[in-house]
Amino acid sequence: MGLSTLHNVRFAGMTSCVPKRVVSNLEDCPPNIRSERQRLVRNIGIQQRRLCASWQCFSDLALDATEKLLDELQWSREEVDALIVVTQSPDYPIPSTAIILQDRLGLSHSTIAFDVNLGCSGYPFGLHLLGSMIASGAVKKGLLLVGDRSASEKDPLFSDAGTATALEFDAAAPPMYFDLNSDGSGHKAIIKPVGGHREPYAFHHSIPTRDEHGELQWPDRLLLDGPAVLSFSTQKIPPAVERTLQYAGVSKDDVDYFVFHQANRMINETIRKKLALPPEKVPSTLADYGNTSGATLPVTMSARLNETLESGTHKLLLSGFGIGLSWGTCILDISGARFPAMMES
Amino acid sequence: MPSPSIEQFIESFLTAVDFQDPVEVTPDTELRALPEWDSLAALGIIVMFDVEYGKTIVGDDLKNCNTVTDLYKLLG
Repeated sequence: MGLSTLHNVRFAGMTSCVPKRVVSNLEDCPPNIRSERQRLVRNIGIQQRRLCASWQCFSDLALDATEKLLDELQWSREEVDALIVVTQSPDYPIPSTAIILQDRLGLSHSTIAFDVNLGCSGYPFGLHLLGSMIASGAVKKGLLLVGDRSASEKDPLFSDAGTATALEFDAAAPPMYFDLNSDGSGHKAIIKPVGGHREPYAFHHSIPTRDEHGELQWPDRLLLDGPAVLSFSTQKIPPAVERTLQYAGVSKDDVDYFVFHQANRMINETIRKKLALPPEKVPSTLADYGNTSGATLPVTMSARLNETLESGTHKLLLSGFGIGLSWGTCILDISGARFPAMMES
Repeated sequence: MPSPSIEQFIESFLTAVDFQDPVEVTPDTELRALPEWDSLAALGIIVMFDVEYGKTIVGDDLKNCNTVTDLYKLLG
């Protein structure tokens, strides 16, 4: 499919919610020597992150964000026809978190609810999926909940967040343009290899070994091939952005903000430089919120653009990329949407 | 894009790896003998090739390099 256009879909609003607990990469993380931590922070651009409390799931953050958004929009629970959750940290392996949230949010039994298993690339895919249901006329109002609980104290990259986005049918809405791609040959670049049917969880997976830095590592952890992810991101994203702009008939000057998945500073700065985009058009939340997986696009919009986007009309290009491998770009106009301030829970 | 001299390349190399402690690097320096040559430095080098020299290299290209000169030759 690749490139496509959605009509009659209005972006009605968005809320993001992060945990209250703050972890500093300069104070609280390995490596053990301060100057090495400073070098790490300088290069990945992430100073602090948000970590869920032990009891807290991604869905708890998403629930709070959704309650706030529904109140702001003054949508009744009965009006919500679809609830799509994009996450890789569900409440349980099965059933779908979206169906549990249908009940917790008090939505009607006639609500379509299911999960989508995507990570860092997930936001444009989620917009397209819910948008397609709305464009078909089957759904009048829908919610897209995106985020993950992927942070740990020792890993300097990942941070937790839950977000809610509201879309609705509107025959006068401007078109949304999409470019969505997948490359499964790179599935080992970011993978949690243990716990599925290829390698079921077994006793030996609970025995840690020490890595070259003396840190304990468990065999069932997330594995990330840094050079492979860097090469993928910096090679695939700039041409995908150019292709989507060309398809939409939009120039870079026409776009008010380019919001990229917040991977790390090296990746994000390389993409920005290759596209020759000015920093003021490319908002960043890496320093304060780290890499919140699929939530980075809404978190960055909520934290950096919420007041701007509540007035006037703005054209945004959104680009998500990562685990899969998978990458998606979207160009949309936002006008009169509600953007409550960033929440903490 | 014009090729840099090996001296210019070493200057870019030292900026890209962002080592904490100053270290002397010559064309014959072995990468793995540098005390701070690590995964972060490797990522910096991949970015340097891409942004400064318009050349795509991958992790395996770096693994196959022993010295700074080997790296320089990747510019082709």
